[in-house]
Amino acid sequence: MNGKNKLTLSFIFALVGFMIAIQFQTTQNPEERDTRDLWEVRTEIQEQQKIQQELYSELEDLDVMLNQYEGKSETEQIDALKKSIQMLEKEAGLTEVSGKGIAIHVKPMFQEMNMPQTYPTLAPGLLQRLINELNNYGAKEIAIGNERITNLTPIRDVNGYTYVNNHPLPSLPVQIKVLTDNPQKLQEYMKVSQSRDEFAIENLELSFELREQLTLPAYEEVPPLNDIKIDENVETGES
Amino acid sequence: MWFPFLFLLVGIVLGLLTDIRVPDEYTNYFSIAVLAALDTLLGGLRAHLEEQFDQKVFVSGFFFNVGLAAFLAFLGVQLGIDLYLAAVFAFGVRLFQNIALIRRFLIEKDRIKKHNEKNDENKRILP
Repeated sequence: MNGKNKLTLSFIFALVGFMIAIQFQTTQNPEERDTRDLWEVRTEIQEQQKIQQELYSELEDLDVMLNQYEGKSETEQIDALKKSIQMLEKEAGLTEVSGKGIAIHVKPMFQEMNMPQTYPTLAPGLLQRLINELNNYGAKEIAIGNERITNLTPIRDVNGYTYVNNHPLPSLPVQIKVLTDNPQKLQEYMKVSQSRDEFAIENLELSFELREQLTLPAYEEVPPLNDIKIDENVETGES
Repeated sequence: MWFPFLFLLVGIVLGLLTDIRVPDEYTNYFSIAVLAALDTLLGGLRAHLEEQFDQKVFVSGFFFNVGLAAFLAFLGVQLGIDLYLAAVFAFGVRLFQNIALIRRFLIEKDRIKKHNEKNDENKRILP
């Protein structure tokens, strides 16, 4: 092999190496382009700041609790423990709660038609959408009929019947109670909400009623915590 | 002989340093092209060991194979047939063949060398 030969060969080798390196880079970390515009980034920052604020206030509460635990007398410690248990139970929906809110009545809607009409039922999908919407507009606690909605509440179809918390819903009309800080606003939101149209398609009518005093039942069973495990990962956040 | 490999390393380092990335749409074509390049590389190495190396064949083979592989992938996408599999298959088989031939050649060379050394020793002892 003469010198010129070697040089060409070397050049091709270098080219192949270059190609392999580029291919390697492309597959290892594909290009991720940030396509958000200024406003999207701004709202993102705002959201993150909001989350940060919430976390800070939560941390403050926990700090207060920790101080109480570290208080000297044993009775004080027990008191603090009881208080936190009560708080957690309330948060999990294991206690009765009352306050201001709105009551939503779900009634069958009968139209004057020649066709025979079946008695409408409340489908799980509709209920889920309604709950999502209520939560969106600031609902704090929700109960459907006598069933309190918690974070673990299943709403599902069992043999054609709608089950909430593994109990069948009574036939219509059904009352949904919602607690919120600002009932007036929630009512107005719900009056123009999409759920209303969706319920109307299924021949269901939603009517709203403001209540100064509403009492929601407690979640009666033991929460199903069998499948829940403690997350032992140490969370690392940005400082 | 180590000169080309030095350049291979230089190419790899250069590629990693420049931070060039192929756009998502072209990764398929590029990966096939890389395979073709590797195949040509090993083919060239084998030809060199067998002392049949021809620069014209090597250089033209390199560019033609890379281009053809990318074109096949492109055609496959246009026609809705996975034609790139043909390229993967062909180059894959040839890759293995070339590597096997290089291995055999090296083993053979080693054996001949050892044999010669033994003969030399025998010659030295005899007189």
